[in-house]
Amino acid sequence: MCLPGWAQTEEHWAFQAPSRPSLPSIARTAWARNPIDTFVSSHHETQGLQPQPEASRLILLRRLYLDLIGVPPGPEEVARIETAPDESWYVGVVKQLLADPRHGERWARHWMDVWRYSDWWGLGDQLRNSQKHIWHWRDWIVESLNASLPYDEMVRLMLAADESHPDDLDKLRATGFLARNWYLFNRHQWLEETVEHVSKGFLGLTIGCAKCHDHKFDPVSQMDFYRMRAVFEPYQVRNDMLPGAADMEIDSIPRAFDGWLDKPTYRFVRGEETNPDQSVVAHPGIPGFLSPPMPTVEPIKLAASAWQPARRPWVQESMLEAARQKVQKATMELTATQGKSTGGDSPMPEAQAELQMAQSLVTWAQAELESLEKRLAASRAQWAMEDRNDATPCDEITVAVQAERRAAVAKSTHQVAEAELRVLRAEPAKRDEMEKQLAAARETLTKTVTASETVVKAGEDFTRLEGARWAATRFDDSTKDDAPVAFPAESSGRRTALAAWITDPRNPLTARVAVNQIWMHHLGAPLVATVFDFGRKGTPPTHPELLDWLATELMTSGWDMKHLHELIVTSATYRMSSSMTGGAANAVKDPDNLQLWRRHPIRLDSEVVRDSVLALSGELAPTRGGPPIPAAAQADSKRRSLYFFHSNNDRNLFLTSFDAAMVKECYRREQSIVPQQALALTNGRLVLDASWKISERLSLTASADAEFVNLAFSVLLGFKPGEAEMKASLEALGAWRALPPEEGRDAASTARSHLIWSLLNHNDFVTLR
Amino acid sequence: MQTAHPFRTLPRRAFLADMGLGFTGLALGAMLQRESRAEETLWIPPDGQPHFAPKAKSVIWLFMNGGVSHLESFDPKPMLNKYAGKTIAETPYASTQSPDKLALARVTVPDANGNQRNELYPLQVGYKPHGQSGMEISDWFPRIARNADRIALVRSMYTTDSNHGAQTQFHSGRHNLDGDFPNLGAWVHYGLGSLNENLPQFISMGAREYWNKRDGHYLGPAHDAVPLRIDPANPLDFGVSERPFSPPAREIGVNLLRQLNNLRGIEYPHDPAMAARIASYELAFRMQTSVPEIVDFSRETEETKSLYGLDQPHCREFAGQLLAARRLVERGVRFIQIQHGGGGAGAWDAHGGLKENHAAQALAVDQPIGALLEDLDRRGMLDETLVVFATEFGRTPGSQGGTGRDHHVFGFSVWMAGGGLKRGFVHGSTDEIGFHAVDNRHYVTDIHATILNQMGLDSRRLEIPGRKRLEIDHGVPIDEIIA
Repeated sequence: MCLPGWAQTEEHWAFQAPSRPSLPSIARTAWARNPIDTFVSSHHETQGLQPQPEASRLILLRRLYLDLIGVPPGPEEVARIETAPDESWYVGVVKQLLADPRHGERWARHWMDVWRYSDWWGLGDQLRNSQKHIWHWRDWIVESLNASLPYDEMVRLMLAADESHPDDLDKLRATGFLARNWYLFNRHQWLEETVEHVSKGFLGLTIGCAKCHDHKFDPVSQMDFYRMRAVFEPYQVRNDMLPGAADMEIDSIPRAFDGWLDKPTYRFVRGEETNPDQSVVAHPGIPGFLSPPMPTVEPIKLAASAWQPARRPWVQESMLEAARQKVQKATMELTATQGKSTGGDSPMPEAQAELQMAQSLVTWAQAELESLEKRLAASRAQWAMEDRNDATPCDEITVAVQAERRAAVAKSTHQVAEAELRVLRAEPAKRDEMEKQLAAARETLTKTVTASETVVKAGEDFTRLEGARWAATRFDDSTKDDAPVAFPAESSGRRTALAAWITDPRNPLTARVAVNQIWMHHLGAPLVATVFDFGRKGTPPTHPELLDWLATELMTSGWDMKHLHELIVTSATYRMSSSMTGGAANAVKDPDNLQLWRRHPIRLDSEVVRDSVLALSGELAPTRGGPPIPAAAQADSKRRSLYFFHSNNDRNLFLTSFDAAMVKECYRREQSIVPQQALALTNGRLVLDASWKISERLSLTASADAEFVNLAFSVLLGFKPGEAEMKASLEALGAWRALPPEEGRDAASTARSHLIWSLLNHNDFVTLR
Repeated sequence: MQTAHPFRTLPRRAFLADMGLGFTGLALGAMLQRESRAEETLWIPPDGQPHFAPKAKSVIWLFMNGGVSHLESFDPKPMLNKYAGKTIAETPYASTQSPDKLALARVTVPDANGNQRNELYPLQVGYKPHGQSGMEISDWFPRIARNADRIALVRSMYTTDSNHGAQTQFHSGRHNLDGDFPNLGAWVHYGLGSLNENLPQFISMGAREYWNKRDGHYLGPAHDAVPLRIDPANPLDFGVSERPFSPPAREIGVNLLRQLNNLRGIEYPHDPAMAARIASYELAFRMQTSVPEIVDFSRETEETKSLYGLDQPHCREFAGQLLAARRLVERGVRFIQIQHGGGGAGAWDAHGGLKENHAAQALAVDQPIGALLEDLDRRGMLDETLVVFATEFGRTPGSQGGTGRDHHVFGFSVWMAGGGLKRGFVHGSTDEIGFHAVDNRHYVTDIHATILNQMGLDSRRLEIPGRKRLEIDHGVPIDEIIA
């Protein structure tokens, strides 16, 4: 089914590699600060538009802070900039903010929207989507942005760090991008989402539309969808052990690996999972109309420690350390129990049983440590032989099996001791049941003892050490895990090939799509309105030359995002006022401001609203990274909103009311204005508590009311109160002072905190002017 | 508000509709984005007026989470008793198992599929014909049964998601695996203007924890339902101040805020976002007084309260929600979405112990629902109010584990009452064992189409450029049940 439109798509602008446009000649050379402005001005001049004047210093300062680090400047910074002797403050602040680690936190959230970051969700405690420790990926994004990791490298690592750096846990965190798509029950859904959002997020292509039929607008055939799926067909998710974190349920790195190397990909007829066309295998690839071609897929041989993660030194150390700690803990408990039994107010048999249990726990812990040591020795011996291609069984295996059996005996012995104690402590009604449990424990003990006494047979193996755990799926049966997927010694190389193609400077889409996102956040509107669709159905760019200039600039700078941020925020275009004042003639010609004759005002992102309130109150916690703050702890948390648990099912109410990202898809956020926001800001404890704190903080330097009002407007809203605003504010302060003060406060400080409450509810507090 | 300014940063009609009528606000970003698309300049967002003369003004949408057994509620099947214990293959109904018929289900979770439950399970409760229509209803729903002659029952529903994603599917018309799409209530909210300046026009109550708590999706968060609790002290999220704030002090603050926002118009004239922000605050302040009044039942008569069952512990919670729903309808609220039965994937999800489970759940909803129908009717409100009783799917004719029934997408029942529908009418049927809808089969969006039709809306005229809807998303009104 080839629609007529397809024939012309080779000409479609977004499918041609961007070339560096030359700068247009313009008349307003004095206005232009850098090449961005040259392109913008050229449109102004041909369309008879006058750019609005530069915004005030206070507005510019607030813009830079909220845009680059997501919190407003404090009173000290506002004072410093207000009195700065010349213009050079601007570039100074830009450089300072781009070097600020809060920059990574602010911009990570933008990319987390696009890359669909989500904490895990499921049903009750059952994990069904994403991964429990997916936050490691979030931290990687923050750190990478702060470290100026190039955009192309970020993309390559997210798609294939397990192939390029299979043993580097820090970099493996990047593949959380793929681990996030993990879905317990349905592989097709999982891979369809992966294809759809790799295409939309990195390429601005709606390849997902071709799942059931050839794409209606772009030359993407249905088979192309399945070729792209084939790139991801082998991948699975596992969790790798971190140094010092032997219990992988508590913490570990969720990451991708190729586990299904031989799994064929078939096209589903009409997209129906039950109807695969098994006559043709779809091989990994990309839509053929795009050049350059995808590089040849080369399988990648992995280092042994990558697919046998127990070989990793930190895995062995972590396990040994955990086992030693158990011995230590048990020994301490034993000492405590011994001390207690000499003090002795419990009846004799019970005290004895307690002592016996404490002793057997020590024995068990010691046996486990020994078992671990022996199994480690056996593993090492075997790895050494494997590395020499020697397949003869070694003696260490027998020793390890024996040690493991001894640990089993010690465990059963301890369980008998426990059961004995329970019998002693049981109420009469429960006694029989406890006796039964004791009998069962004794039977198990007998079995383990018998087993420990038999000769170790040839081929009998010990329990292998686990340095990583496959994220078990339930594709076949919802009540039990699928057959385990082993960690193969090689990876297909498919994702590496795709990543190389996506980040190839000749790829026509990647850099354009990225700069469009970056531009949108800085300027309040993208150059291509359909941010995830650069195809024929998408909207053409308002400034095609500018888009290409930015795309090529990003690439030639080594995909340096901070370079791009600096260029954009130092442009005259960025520095314009958002006011319509004097712009009536412009508005007639360009009512939607598509040509950027003024700045678009921006409703602050949900996270920025909350973080700003806390930052102004001086309470925002500087702690970076770590596990997400659970819902129950959020009301009292002073951490940045970025760190709040955020999934499909669990979102913070305050943030949700300000359009926090929907985790399934969020290429551009809403900027809604709804009464729930008014309720959250007027009634929520966040603002009510902060009002006091901010008022106290500002009162430190502002003693007179007029001074206080002046400072509060400057710091909270980014402008100085006019005569009427000052008058209204002073009158309100007077009226409040005449009322009885809040309990435990004086009238003056109560009045001031109420003024702050009003300003935090001002439209300009949640608006980037 | 700037009514005469020459700028069309926002489409003026939409702006007016949102400020004066639509009321929950406007999704500014979405509108600006839409505006920026050249080919869409002819597109005009809804003006809040129905497309044709409506029969109903409001919808009360009752949704039973987890899947009500159609067999033990509104579609009893004596053959299940006759062939109890037999496999379906051993009965004359073996053809119900033909794979082409079972292919309807689009499986999300492996094995959650009715065809595995093929040993027929007898009815766990008796049933009788009721009213002049002789509608057969199970004995677990005596109060609803008393209203049989007010009900239009559809016994031939089907859906496709064999797991509880069917809950979202029933609301949006789309299979869970297709993504998130606007729910019916959001479409109604998007299409119709407000009848009350002081209340949100789309309210949700009850247990919604299993699925994503949003409704508007691509229509924007302005079209999400506002959650309401039956607690006069705290009915809305952030509805009361979380810290002491004396009313006179607050009043001064609110007045100052008004002045300051308006003064900002000197430097930033013609700012639609500012106007919207001011309006949203005014609405929020009005809601704070109007919403607690809704859930304060002190002015309801004792007779009414006990009619709904507010004095009965087993159904008090649902009774409160339904009484609040009636009060909301009286005040012109358009769409009230009530989910019954929290926990797990929904309280009605009787994989085991169906008899105890359904008896208890029915007890919790039967009296309030019966009362709602009677109360609306005696107040002359039923003609303009559409009450819907729905659930995500039915339950298998076959037994699951000897005491329960599994999910069943192939045939189940939904009923509606009032709003210009026929009264005491049964439409469609399933086969003799209640497996497949066989006669006048309806996908869930036919219910949507019927409701929109009664509300005077044409779903095709609500479509948003760039968001092409499929034929099946629109559904077809069920003409046979329209009076």
